[in-house]
Amino acid sequence: MEPSTSTSVNKVKTKQSSKLSRFLTSRKAAPYVFVTPFIVSFLLLFLYPMIQAVIMSFQQVLPGQVEFIGLRNYERLLNPEFYRALLNTSIYVVFTVLILVALPVILAVFLNSKLLKFRNFFRASLFVPALTSVIVAGVIFRMMFGESETAVINEIIGFFGISPVEWRYGSVSGMFLMVMLAAWRWIGVNILYFLAGLQNVSEELYEAADIDGANAFQKFFSVTLPSLKPVIIFVSTITIINGFRMFEESFVFWQNNSPGNIGLTVVGYIYQEGISQNDMGFGAAIGVVLMIIIFIVSIIQLKFVGAFKED
Amino acid sequence: MKKSLSLLLIPGLFLAACGGNGGSEGAGGSEAEDTSVIGPDSEEATELTFWTFNEQHIGVYEPAVKRWNEENPDRQIQLTAEVFPIDQMNNNLRLALQSGEGAPDIADIEVSHFGSFLEGDVQFESMNDQVEPVLEDMVEGRLDLYSKDDNYYGLPYHVGATVMYYNEEIMDEAGVDIDSIETWDDYVEAGKQVTENTDSMMTTVETTDQFTFWPLIAQQGSDYFNEDGEVILDNETNVESLQFMNDMVHEHEIAEIAPGGDHHEEQYYGYMNDGGAASLMMPMWYMGRFIDYMEDLEGKIQIRPLPRWEEDGNRTSGMGGTGTVVTNQTEKPELAKEFLAEAKLTEEGNIDLWTELGFDPPMYSVWDSEEMGESNKYYEYFHDDIFDMLLELNDEVEGLNITPETSDVTNEINTNVLNSAVRQQSSTPQEALEQAAESVRSGMSE
Amino acid sequence: MTTKKKKWISIAVTFIFAVITLTALFPIISLVVASLRPASGLMREGLSLLFDPAELTFSNYLSIFSESGQQYWRWYLNSLLISGMLIVLSLFFSSMVGYALAMYQFKGRNVLFVLVLFILMIPFEILMLPLYQLMIDLNLINSYFAVMLPLIVAPIAVFFFRQYCLGLPKELMESARIDGCTEYGIFFRIMAPLMGPSFAAMAILQGLTSWNNFLWPLLVLRSSDMFTLPIGLSTLMTPYGNNYELLFSGSVLTIIPIIILFLFFQKFFISGLTVGGVKG
Repeated sequence: MEPSTSTSVNKVKTKQSSKLSRFLTSRKAAPYVFVTPFIVSFLLLFLYPMIQAVIMSFQQVLPGQVEFIGLRNYERLLNPEFYRALLNTSIYVVFTVLILVALPVILAVFLNSKLLKFRNFFRASLFVPALTSVIVAGVIFRMMFGESETAVINEIIGFFGISPVEWRYGSVSGMFLMVMLAAWRWIGVNILYFLAGLQNVSEELYEAADIDGANAFQKFFSVTLPSLKPVIIFVSTITIINGFRMFEESFVFWQNNSPGNIGLTVVGYIYQEGISQNDMGFGAAIGVVLMIIIFIVSIIQLKFVGAFKED
Repeated sequence: MKKSLSLLLIPGLFLAACGGNGGSEGAGGSEAEDTSVIGPDSEEATELTFWTFNEQHIGVYEPAVKRWNEENPDRQIQLTAEVFPIDQMNNNLRLALQSGEGAPDIADIEVSHFGSFLEGDVQFESMNDQVEPVLEDMVEGRLDLYSKDDNYYGLPYHVGATVMYYNEEIMDEAGVDIDSIETWDDYVEAGKQVTENTDSMMTTVETTDQFTFWPLIAQQGSDYFNEDGEVILDNETNVESLQFMNDMVHEHEIAEIAPGGDHHEEQYYGYMNDGGAASLMMPMWYMGRFIDYMEDLEGKIQIRPLPRWEEDGNRTSGMGGTGTVVTNQTEKPELAKEFLAEAKLTEEGNIDLWTELGFDPPMYSVWDSEEMGESNKYYEYFHDDIFDMLLELNDEVEGLNITPETSDVTNEINTNVLNSAVRQQSSTPQEALEQAAESVRSGMSE
Repeated sequence: MTTKKKKWISIAVTFIFAVITLTALFPIISLVVASLRPASGLMREGLSLLFDPAELTFSNYLSIFSESGQQYWRWYLNSLLISGMLIVLSLFFSSMVGYALAMYQFKGRNVLFVLVLFILMIPFEILMLPLYQLMIDLNLINSYFAVMLPLIVAPIAVFFFRQYCLGLPKELMESARIDGCTEYGIFFRIMAPLMGPSFAAMAILQGLTSWNNFLWPLLVLRSSDMFTLPIGLSTLMTPYGNNYELLFSGSVLTIIPIIILFLFFQKFFISGLTVGGVKG
């Protein structure tokens, strides 16, 4: 294990190779060795296809006929359908971030607290929805939120005297379905992140707070939340990005076409235009714009919470 | 033969997942659910792959492979059929054609997507040498759907003549003689009688699919595009037809929006099966849905031509459809084309289209043949005068103008137009159609 | 706070959690109930709370164990193999990268971290066609490897490991160096064991991502004996001949073993937490 011993033992080896191995095990080179898999995968699986996609966004791509058409794909983006997709996606992002950060933090704190009995059972149970694939989850939600009076959710609201809702046809109820589905599936995962984060919160801080006579709420805001900050940054970043990339939550309810485009998301629009309508150049242009939007939003968010600072 | 056929077909018609039962070995040695291998598993047989989105379609190739191998013992084939959900099949096929690799020998493409597959250099083999010898026996408009620049690329499964399915029990209860319904005005009047005298609605309209709107306008000789490929979606006929749909639902209150949004939903099958509506306008190929999903209606359904718009107007329109193509990635283009012609362009093949699939075959010269008259489950469920009626309608099937943008229009109709003009009533038919037409035009003007 | 008061709060909290958990599990319970009822009626009437218990039947499950269900088990095997291999590969590579980004000062570190975030943001859909073409060029179409490749160095896992490592004591590295450990020895022998909880969390997360992955496998997998579960199940719900019997029972069987696996894994996860958690 120790470099000095191993090189001295292997005296048979040429000077050069021992030099190389010494270099490779040096403190300078080690981080580069560690990140090599990332660099390879970045170049091959992201940069190369990315460049291809950007090029494509300036082209009309048809089998056997590929021509450059300048900015025309981008000009075509100025249409109500794209605005609708952007709006839906933005609303979805806002709601999922609010729900999927706030709720899991609170639940995780309780799941970590001795006040709660059967903690392991609850932890496991709340994670179970995350185990279902979005396809399966979609099947269940469509059944539960059917528009007939005999579908579960309509039965339940009927119990409170509310008349049946056509869930999949209204823009508000449609958004509700998508956010619900995402919240339901992801809450357990985010709880997991926060639980892991809570293990690193120092007991001493709580003890100090106890000595200062802080109550439970004060402790939560002055000790727990600040300690969880790195995890909160992580979870909110992921949630924002996943929100902008959302596609399947809409797909399982409406496939390609939702009534009045209530379920149209930006990625759904890429799928619809780029793949279903065979307009790959246009699809690529939507993708490039989406990428820029996500990039800007994330940078702002990360700057705002100070993720680039040394912790 | 009969036994092996029924083994393959019966599960194939009822359950998507059992199509492999009649085939020999699937890939990997397991019995595949979405893969059917038809034909001998011998070394001489050339393997052809076939992609489809409708398990049912495979039924017509089983006898075709058998016939082909009997007639061409030195050029035997083995057909591997794979079934994918429609969107996925389209995507996979598109990517494969775009990248020049991975496409099957033969593929099914649904009509509203067909135009977009013909953009750029066409990636399919021209079928002209197969089609031309039999052209005059065929309903030509159906072949034209899948053609470009005088080349026929896709072979149809059916005419798709749109008809009215009446539930006689409900009509009788309402006191309406279905043969007295000649015009759409009569139909509306009859509808009022039905809603007054029974618990049922007269009919249903689709808002998430186009098989109410499109047949209505096509019946009057209108369409989404004219012959030059220009958008005519917002013309007067179309606006009036959409208004008529709206009126049936909201003014006359004889129709309701199909539960589930269109006529291919489980909820809808349940609704119809329970006598929810007294009649339904759909193409002939919808017969299979009755048989598979509405078993309580057996013997109660009468098929009639559509009511006319004007005195000598058409009483039907050809709707829907799928073109089967040979891709240019096949290693055996001649073999694939000749086999496809055996399945779709022969009398035997066309009779199979009826007996196996319940489709109105595009080769109308077989419509009055003896085999077509033989009793089968379609005649048992409906009545046996179907083809007499179809023969009468033969020259009333107008062709449709399919363009690369047809799928754009379809998308607009299913997503925006019907929803805002009929379901939500948030815009007038005129506004909705103008907006949709504008959106499609703006995508075209490049 | 008195012990009595504490006890009452404890009971109240536990009760509230029982309600929350029941709500969260309700859809799953519904699915299980649904799988025991005649499938087509369910699609017609929607899932009703009021049903006749006498209707319950195991026939949907019988169809999975009959001949027509054979393919289902093949999909199951594919999903298990792909997810298993992917967990091992992606944890190995991603933890290395995340660790290096957190623990070392080196040129290009910030650039690499920004690149990680950048990849995280790229909607996969726009890379789909070029990637697909790449898979063809590499002759990987219809292979397990093609499904796994884009996920092996998962940016999300790199990000998580980096965040997690930021909380690890750097002093340990120094003392290990003094003891003569190589940089790799430090990682594999000293730091990696401290990252236990993050490994458990990422194993679960990567396993899930792979188990439920849909769009990409759909494109690169061609023959049905290579399909994974989500794709196989989705082929059961085409409008052209639904097969809800298999769909519902198949969905339930998709979840249950994963739940068991998770419960098993969760013990490791929690014990990992207690081991890794002793630090300030």
